[in-house]
Amino acid sequence: MANYVARRLLQAVAIMFLLSILFFALVNLAPGGPLAGYGQARRIPAERIATLKRQLGLDKPIPFQYVVWLVGNDWMKVDLNGDGSPDGPGVRKGVLRGDFGYSFRSRQPVLDEISQRLPNTIYLMTVTMLVALIVAVPIGVISAIKQYSLFDIVVTTFSFAGQALPDFWLGLILIIVFYVWLKNPVTGESLLPVGGIYTLGVPFSIADRLAHLVLPVTAGALGWLAWYSRFVRSSMLDVINQDYLRTARAKGLRQSQVMFKHALRNALIPLVTLLALDLPYLFGGAVFIEMLFSWPGMGLLYYQAALQRDYPILMAVLIIGGVSIILSNLLADVAYAFLDPRIRYS
Amino acid sequence: MSRTLVFKFLLSVFILGILATFITGCAPSQPVTPVPTQLSNPSPDDPTLAPTSVAPGPSHVTIVIPEDPPNFNAAISDSGYDALVMHLTLLGMVAIDPDGKVYPVLATELPTIENGQVVMGNDGSMDVTWNMRTDVTWADGIPVTSDDVLFTYNAIIDQNTGSWIPGIDLVTGVDKEDDHQFVVHFSSVYPSYLTLFGNRQVVIWPAHYCKSEQGFQSWDCGRKPLSDGPFLLEEWVTGDHLTFAKNPKYFEPEKPGVDQLIVKIVPDATVRETMMRQGDADILMWANEQVADNLKNDRNVKVSISPTSRFVMRMYINLAGKGSTDPQTTPNPFFSDVRVRQAIRSAIDVDTISSTVWHGFAVPVWTEFFRPPYNTCEIPRPKFDPEAAKALLEQAGWVDTDGDGIRECKGCNTARDGEKFKFEMITYSEYGEPLTLTQQLIGEMLKNVGIQADLSQVQGSVMWADSASGGIEQNGDFNIDLYDDGYAGNDPTDFIYQYYSSASATPDNGWNIGRWVDPRMDELLNQAYSLDENSRKEAFCKMAKILDSELPQILLFSTINADVYSTRLEGVQANVNSVVSWNSADWKIVK
Repeated sequence: MANYVARRLLQAVAIMFLLSILFFALVNLAPGGPLAGYGQARRIPAERIATLKRQLGLDKPIPFQYVVWLVGNDWMKVDLNGDGSPDGPGVRKGVLRGDFGYSFRSRQPVLDEISQRLPNTIYLMTVTMLVALIVAVPIGVISAIKQYSLFDIVVTTFSFAGQALPDFWLGLILIIVFYVWLKNPVTGESLLPVGGIYTLGVPFSIADRLAHLVLPVTAGALGWLAWYSRFVRSSMLDVINQDYLRTARAKGLRQSQVMFKHALRNALIPLVTLLALDLPYLFGGAVFIEMLFSWPGMGLLYYQAALQRDYPILMAVLIIGGVSIILSNLLADVAYAFLDPRIRYS
Repeated sequence: MSRTLVFKFLLSVFILGILATFITGCAPSQPVTPVPTQLSNPSPDDPTLAPTSVAPGPSHVTIVIPEDPPNFNAAISDSGYDALVMHLTLLGMVAIDPDGKVYPVLATELPTIENGQVVMGNDGSMDVTWNMRTDVTWADGIPVTSDDVLFTYNAIIDQNTGSWIPGIDLVTGVDKEDDHQFVVHFSSVYPSYLTLFGNRQVVIWPAHYCKSEQGFQSWDCGRKPLSDGPFLLEEWVTGDHLTFAKNPKYFEPEKPGVDQLIVKIVPDATVRETMMRQGDADILMWANEQVADNLKNDRNVKVSISPTSRFVMRMYINLAGKGSTDPQTTPNPFFSDVRVRQAIRSAIDVDTISSTVWHGFAVPVWTEFFRPPYNTCEIPRPKFDPEAAKALLEQAGWVDTDGDGIRECKGCNTARDGEKFKFEMITYSEYGEPLTLTQQLIGEMLKNVGIQADLSQVQGSVMWADSASGGIEQNGDFNIDLYDDGYAGNDPTDFIYQYYSSASATPDNGWNIGRWVDPRMDELLNQAYSLDENSRKEAFCKMAKILDSELPQILLFSTINADVYSTRLEGVQANVNSVVSWNSADWKIVK
């Protein structure tokens, strides 16, 4: 297993290298550029635009820009004053040494921007997925056990509805109901806050944090809930028709023992794999949920960076996404081997 | 056994990780940009040291905006939100009110020829002497002096780390006379000299606090400014909010009238509007026509509309063929003939567009000189007259010969005979529904006179990119573009130069993207670069007549410039020449 993991990690490095080239090319070769949205750029004389490009490192060919992005330019002489001749070493260290550069827009280090947003997204998405799981697993199990019952039909109907409902629409409805219509009977204020992570100016309280989570988590979790409950139902149905369950029943085990000790444990194995594959969502965030509920996370950061052609931010988010997908795939494979004795990697 | 143990271990790590994430997310650990207290003399009474956990008092105001300001320096990014926070904290030599009137801020008076502070040289140069107030200090108590102005000027013009502001190319130097007097030397007459160091985007920066080696565009004081304006930055939680406290050292007595100010980042427009209705926000910056219409009858809010507007929806016509930037060698097959341009203008019903799409807030505009003080030209409003448009097209040799409703060239002299009058009309996608609907309506109106406009949208970053980056306009890769533009401040000269001078008609040298060149216009622009107001007005009116007859652009209507504010506030006023915070020191909470 150790050899297998080591080999996969080596492959991951190679894949990430190729992905980074692909990302960099896609981001930089798309028509248009960051200077078009650069404030006064529409009024700036041509020579000043050239200076701006040099300052942002956009004046060099794209392959050269990629090399600087990857390994920095502090080891080479660069033209600092635009006279065409090299003056001294640059200041970029490159991604391989942990320097993702500076945001074109805010002029802040990219890692600072990411580190401010990433915890918020992990926080929101983790709670969202946990809530979805906690509700989805029992629903899926009962649905499978009581296949074609009224409960199953209702759950199935709502599952499809949950998957079909756009989260931004659902979010708006939740805002109208819980922020606009319903009031706290004691204070007369809105029942739930409309956005943000906490109430500004109020001392830290778990209740306040939870209140801010209710609407975005509900809007975000419904789709996941529908998806997981359908998956668990299907997985359970596969398992409960297996011979070994029939044997278990024949041995006289109680139905609850048969279902929860023998059936559910096996039915959840594919779910664990699925969860591992869904882990990248913890880091990527949900654009519409973050936008609607003013949640300063990665999805919103990526969306705004894409609109503003903030290449350094875009690249960092894409790389984080790529790494998390590759690692989650590896985790899924490894987890599967642990959970299912029949799987062996050589 | 071992497999089970390892799995349980991994599961435990995962659960612990989730718990840790939850706790981290719950904890108030957001990166905070503290106020620069290191230069202050800390005292218990100093509001800059107020703990951020204190709940906002009754005298706080919440402003909602959709995204973080890039920083506090609006001269480098001009998102508008940077100007909002910049004007809360920093002052310029002058400012401009909603009517376009310039008034002194750090200056004691406005330099003019009459008061002897503007001196014209024999070689066409111009020297402007500024006197500064002596009672303005930075938040750390150090006076604001001419050293700060020189520092700001030098930071802007630095070739490696500087930026560009309008008029700066004409400045040959800035000399300090004493701590509160300095002289700006211009190589030639610059009519907007008053607003060089004080406008929507430019303020004065503290020399003793900002680090020049970090550069104008990237210095830390752009994120953590030291105030001389009405408010002090308390904290900045990226993506969430900025809080400000009143500056006790602000030079105007009894001001500002608000103790605490919160700028809240709320990306969704519907949520911003709902927060205003619910009373959870006090100022909504930049309300569009839809929001203004929705809120105009709400008892809890008021809509402040700037007395003059700035942005004019317009059609940019490429006189060169699509893909070319040279109308001489490759004239546009459709629009080279001025009669066609006139026909298009006659075919568009601006009033209908205003009432159906822009909620009646769009005001018809047909000349660049529609704003005071230069709205004195007699240019009659063009009539919406589809029949006249059809007649003009017939005269220009565009006739519907096959009866399909679309005209073909029949002796038009600009296209080959039989070519259908079919072109692409582009706009940018970020503006949203009103522009999309306007584009569709114009397409239908043109179809009524036998012109087929294929509608498309691109991102602004593609439309306006420089030629090397594939910019559609700079490469001439369009027939007609549709969007809005206008100038801030009270002087249209630079704006007109950018759009209509021959020098701006080559790629990457300006925005005369239609490549319309008229020597008369260049002469008049030279005339306009003077301080003789009568001469300038005369030049502008002559320009207006030329533009009206030649139609290098078709101007349609101005869009709204409005801010919405709670009725518990007084003194908030939209200002098209600045941003809503231009007079934040005057705001008061009345209920």
